[in-house]
Amino acid sequence: MKLNRRTALSTFAAVLSGCAQARQPNAPARPDHGKIESRPLVTLRLSTASPQNLGTVPTGGRVIFPITGGVFEGERLHGKVLSGGADWTLQRPDGVIELDLRITLETHDAALVYMTLSGLRDDAHGYFATIARFETAAPQYTFLNHLFAPGTGKLEAGSPVHVFEEIS
Amino acid sequence: MNFVLLMTLQVTLAPPQKIGIVPHGTRTIVPIRGGSFEGPLLHGRVLPGGGDWTLSRSDGVLELDLRLTLETDDGALIHLTSWGMRHGPPEVLAALARGEVVDSASYYFRTAPRFEAATEKYAFLNRLIAVGTGDRKPSGPVYTIYSVE
Repeated sequence: MKLNRRTALSTFAAVLSGCAQARQPNAPARPDHGKIESRPLVTLRLSTASPQNLGTVPTGGRVIFPITGGVFEGERLHGKVLSGGADWTLQRPDGVIELDLRITLETHDAALVYMTLSGLRDDAHGYFATIARFETAAPQYTFLNHLFAPGTGKLEAGSPVHVFEEIS
Repeated sequence: MNFVLLMTLQVTLAPPQKIGIVPHGTRTIVPIRGGSFEGPLLHGRVLPGGGDWTLSRSDGVLELDLRLTLETDDGALIHLTSWGMRHGPPEVLAALARGEVVDSASYYFRTAPRFEAATEKYAFLNRLIAVGTGDRKPSGPVYTIYSVE
């Protein structure tokens, strides 16, 4: 699925750059901005209860997935997900599902971390990506207050799994 | 996880509006005069009228909340909102505040832009998550923005 999207994007790019070249045959080549670097942060596995399907609301199709628990694992933090959070998803008219998830993490050493996740899932293009943010008062996890983390998502046996990286 | 270059965005700033100390920190609003963006799939200019509603938190992190309108060279308008963070060693931030040239690797300046487009040609922007790395040049910030794939 990712290949489909990539192929579509690169074809699109080729068409567009062709147009651009037609307009500006002497346009300078795009400068090389280097590549962004990242390192693993955490992998999050969630368990959800039966979805609460509200139906069509003014902005789209609202489906709320209560979070019953889960686990997170990474070199710098690991532990369990407390029950009580949820993902307030909204399926837009263009088919894309907007994710809006709030959960509380409890680390192995009993620190609480509030995590919010904003994302997009576009099944038509095999796309599922997110941005995670964290808040904590625990001194050993202060670094989480100072970053946000892009993530990619997938479903494993019907349950969401998110892999987050830190942009270094 | 892969990061695919979307664009380089540079903006020029008007003088900041210093609201002062508010309940969540120190609020400073920086209006955007204009700018330009350039990438493999789109390029054009930044319309004046946007801004960055920055908040300096008690822990020293500057939260960024940028909103602006892009106008592509073929006349489409694209709405961009970008949440982000900037922080670093005090001496580095002081040099930035003095308007000096500072190596962008010496501080954290990251953003997460989201796009809204109404034209089919640019609708792909509605369907992606992006991250950006910032470089606070004396002339204004420059963001290199990638889609998360």
